[in-house]
Amino acid sequence: MPENKMKNLLDELKQALSSAQATADTKAIWRRYLGDKGSIKLALKEIKNLPLAEKRVKAPLLKRFYQEALNLFKAKENSLKNNQLQHELGSGSEELQFNLPKIGHLHPITRTIREINRLFTGLGFSLMDGPEIEEDEYCFQRLNVPPDHPARDMQDSIYIKKPNFLLRTQTSSIEARVLAAYPPPFKIVSPGRVYRNENVNKSNHFIFHQYQAVVVLKEVSLKDMFGVFNLLLKKLYGQEMAIRYRNKYYPEVEPGAGVDLECFNCHGAGCAICKGVGWIEVGGAGIIHPKVLAAAKIDPKKWMGFAFGLGLDRLVMAKYNITDIRTLLGGNLGYKYYQNENFIQSN
Amino acid sequence: MKILYSQIKDLIPGLKAGPKAVGEALTLTGFMMDGFSEVKFNNRRDYLLSFEVRQNRGDCLAVWGLAREVAAYYGLKAKLPRVKKITPDDGPLNIKIEAKKFVKRVVAIKLAGLKNGQSPAWLKEYLALNGLNSVNLLVDLSNYVMFLTGYPSHLIDYDKLNGGLAWSLNHYFTEVTTLFGATARLKQDNEIIIRDQKNIIALAGLVGGRAAEIDETTKTIIAEAAIYDRRIIRRNSRQLGIVTEASHRLEKELDPHGAAAAMELLVSLVEKHTGGQVASQIFDYYPVKYVSPAIEFDPESPSRYAGIEIKSDQAIKILERLDFKIKKSDGKLLAAPPTYRQDLGLNEDLVEEIIRIYGYDKIPAGEAPKLPVVREITPKNIILAGKARDILTALGFDEILSWPLCQSGDNDLVNYQNWKTISAQNSINELYPDLRQSLAAGLLVQLNEYHKKNVEFIKIFEIGKIFGQKKGRYLEHESLGLLSATKNKSLKDFKNYLETLLRSIGFSDLKYFIPASKPKAANPDSCWEIRAREIPVGLIYKLIPGENKLNVYFAEINLNLITAELKSLNNNPAVELTRKLISLDANIELAKSEFIYKYLETLEKRFDKKNLWSLSVADVYPLGDKTRYTIRAVYQELSDQEAKKIHLAVFNLT
Repeated sequence: MPENKMKNLLDELKQALSSAQATADTKAIWRRYLGDKGSIKLALKEIKNLPLAEKRVKAPLLKRFYQEALNLFKAKENSLKNNQLQHELGSGSEELQFNLPKIGHLHPITRTIREINRLFTGLGFSLMDGPEIEEDEYCFQRLNVPPDHPARDMQDSIYIKKPNFLLRTQTSSIEARVLAAYPPPFKIVSPGRVYRNENVNKSNHFIFHQYQAVVVLKEVSLKDMFGVFNLLLKKLYGQEMAIRYRNKYYPEVEPGAGVDLECFNCHGAGCAICKGVGWIEVGGAGIIHPKVLAAAKIDPKKWMGFAFGLGLDRLVMAKYNITDIRTLLGGNLGYKYYQNENFIQSN
Repeated sequence: MKILYSQIKDLIPGLKAGPKAVGEALTLTGFMMDGFSEVKFNNRRDYLLSFEVRQNRGDCLAVWGLAREVAAYYGLKAKLPRVKKITPDDGPLNIKIEAKKFVKRVVAIKLAGLKNGQSPAWLKEYLALNGLNSVNLLVDLSNYVMFLTGYPSHLIDYDKLNGGLAWSLNHYFTEVTTLFGATARLKQDNEIIIRDQKNIIALAGLVGGRAAEIDETTKTIIAEAAIYDRRIIRRNSRQLGIVTEASHRLEKELDPHGAAAAMELLVSLVEKHTGGQVASQIFDYYPVKYVSPAIEFDPESPSRYAGIEIKSDQAIKILERLDFKIKKSDGKLLAAPPTYRQDLGLNEDLVEEIIRIYGYDKIPAGEAPKLPVVREITPKNIILAGKARDILTALGFDEILSWPLCQSGDNDLVNYQNWKTISAQNSINELYPDLRQSLAAGLLVQLNEYHKKNVEFIKIFEIGKIFGQKKGRYLEHESLGLLSATKNKSLKDFKNYLETLLRSIGFSDLKYFIPASKPKAANPDSCWEIRAREIPVGLIYKLIPGENKLNVYFAEINLNLITAELKSLNNNPAVELTRKLISLDANIELAKSEFIYKYLETLEKRFDKKNLWSLSVADVYPLGDKTRYTIRAVYQELSDQEAKKIHLAVFNLT
């Protein structure tokens, strides 16, 4: 009786499946019972040998048995696959949590530079850098500060070899390099590290970071420059921040401008932080001095430019709640293992 | 520079602006107010305003000068006090000017019959507000005149002199004791001095000497006010380390014309307060009279520079308010600044003068700039450094920034390049004199800090400059350093990070060689030179274990070098896959002394690149003095038969 044979084979299959431990075992079971040469498959094929009347009665029964066998096999196979997956994943959510891979972090200065770069590259500016060991010519002379000029006292230099080689005191040296190397027109920004011969303490460092912008076009104006600087400061400090531009002397520009923000502590009323004046200086700017263009063999009658710069360290400290400037370069800056800056907000 | 509001008010009749507004007006016009406080002066409420004078303007290190600025801003006229001309007495002064190259003007006069003593309370109070202690009446009056006019003067006790005075370059003295009691060592032939026949009377423009100093018994003086070439004053001040109120003013441009008016004020005050009288002729050495230049002025330029319309007549009025003389000549507009404005000489200087008085606050700052599109010139190494940062953070590395200056000896441990250390000549931070030659120095400092603070899972990197000296040239390049401290004792995992980085940016051809020079900090058995496209681009090594007992791995890559290499590299990994990949293995045996990468290098050349998907070592099995490698070649766009045929041919398996 084919149906009895099939029933026995089904019982045999149930037995075999119940003892199967891994998906590898089920493959052997498949071959033995359900593969092309498997015993159940062969038993099913016997239908075609039955007389027609018997075939009509028994074929559905045998097909049902066969279907049941397939279902049993698939159920067991799925169950084993699941077990295996669970085994591979670990035994529960707790273990997953403790196996999180380490997240890497960018330095707050890099993050801030990227944030500003994004604004300027969006405005079509290129990025630029220059040497940190700089020649007096590029750090001072080409920027309209000849030897013995009083403006040299504004920056106390660290010399590598007096009087010609020093660590750059300002990112304006990159301006001098770019003016010498690239024919105008161009628009560049250059974040960079600068050095002054100062004692290191909680609020001062001899190494710090500046962000410089230089634009040389057929024609530029203070209004253009204020417009660009305003975009930057509003991005960094918010739309409501009051900004002031005033005349300020820098040897490399004329007219020059000092840029102030309303004191965040007293909002202009005057307090100890702003020394009673209500404003805090954040940067310097100006139309590039014709002598600076001429020193780079750029005809000041044909080209005009503006340049501005601001310090980055205090900005970064305020943004990341860092109270000691030495933290930025000194080894005290740590990153939480599990936590990264909010990507959406920081971008 | 400090001023009292009452002084400004007295000098500018009609001034309505209050103290804060005056401060803000000067700030807008170029003199940033950096202090503002209510004070009591001469028994009256007053305001002390402090300003930064960065410009080359000695005239504004003076109450009179700043008053002129305030008046110009408000369109008013400053009325400076009228002082009566000096009535000279008979008898010339015995003064010689020897250092003619450096002396622009000397005005000197003798006053006798003086009664020196303590200063009145108002004068002491005024000097204290300016940060000076009262010395005695005569000295205090001299300082008072300096604050009002900007001209330093110097008083000499006539009775202490030995013969006549001379302004000379110092050929005579090796040291001088100053009024402050300090001894200054002199470099002969460098300093300008005022001397008599025996002593140094003053370091000209800097400070007086003890030899003829004024004391309360002084009866007869020579008062002098002199203007020098500002460059020598600055040089002497820096070389001798003497910075005084006088040197501060004299190293900026001071108008020699004004020295006479300052002397007249001083003489009148000395006569008034000490009862003395002029007792000599006026000595006035002024060989080359300063004449203001006539600067050609383009009246359109202020509008162009400001970006807003400033009408020509407005511009000219502003110049006139600043005491310029304007005239037309051959259709050109010529503007001659007052003699006290020797900082001006170009049309751009005039533009700045006009815009600063017109008001920066009148230029709209809120409009989005309309700058034209220009070509992109970002150097590729900046783009590469950004990409490397992203890859390394994705691999779990934290970015740190460290000091580019390191301690003596640090470079000896980590340097592996053929260059000498560069040291700073004058760093205040003496403990950190040397520029780093490897980023390992800073990363190791950070590692130790993290270890001290129990920070685990240390994987850090830095991108920054490293420095060295070769054949007398100062060299620097951008470098990438990465460091990992783990329990893992093999360099292999760390190497994988480095390779992921380098492959991600385009280098697939990476090899490791024994380096020519190994840093002392490296374990010599675990230190390799990294080559990309056969170019040595850096170093990877395990550090000799330190006190922290960590397994520390470090690698450094020269970013400038790999940028240059990448520029000439033309990779295109994208292919169209229309058939199954076919993976075939082959076993080969190599002597232990043979390098597998060299075998692979030769092998690779036997393939037609367009059919090869990958070539790798699938297994390694040691066999006594040989090693068996299972090489796996994966073929693309071939049938099984075609792949097999090539495979057998390449591996000589037929």
